[in-house]
Amino acid sequence: MASDTPAIQKRPDAIAATALIVAIAGWIVPGLGHLLLGRWGRAVFLFLAVGGLALVGFAMRGELFARESGDPFGALGFFADACSGAFYFLPRVMHWAGPDVSRAAGDYGTRFLAAAGVVNLLGVLDACGIALGRKR
Amino acid sequence: MMGGGFHVSHLAAMAAFAACVSVALAALARGTFPARFKYALLSLVLFLAIGVGIAWLMYPFSR
Repeated sequence: MASDTPAIQKRPDAIAATALIVAIAGWIVPGLGHLLLGRWGRAVFLFLAVGGLALVGFAMRGELFARESGDPFGALGFFADACSGAFYFLPRVMHWAGPDVSRAAGDYGTRFLAAAGVVNLLGVLDACGIALGRKR
Repeated sequence: MMGGGFHVSHLAAMAAFAACVSVALAALARGTFPARFKYALLSLVLFLAIGVGIAWLMYPFSR
């Protein structure tokens, strides 16, 4: 009568739902996915890294890629920017001078903003791997 | 700071980028905290060394 699977083992659909929630939370607020999984150390450092890249990028007057850029590189740039979650919408809620890529600093800022999104994407994938039991 | 943007040197911008990315990579790496701290330091040093090295390699072509 004894079952082969332990009673505390989660059902696959529950694991998938947890991974989805963790992924969405981690995308919206960098590090929140790890925080929900109890990995507060990773959560704090990930938030600081993504936030640091995004804030320095905005301070250097980097440019966010437009959704309708019309070329593949622009689409990739928009995808990278959008991956930074809440930081993507930061310029809309705070006073910001806007992009200025006529100077080298503005061009660097654009790369900082894209890197913030890519780093957060790595964090989301890491949190998903933990939630699915593929990583520790 | 956000009003007119701030001006940083190329080296300072590269160092800030390297520091942020190194912290993120170390945070996502496996292992104990000391091992990940060493990984972050190594990553930061390599970022800076390779960046300065490539800059020196490109120097003859800059003028």
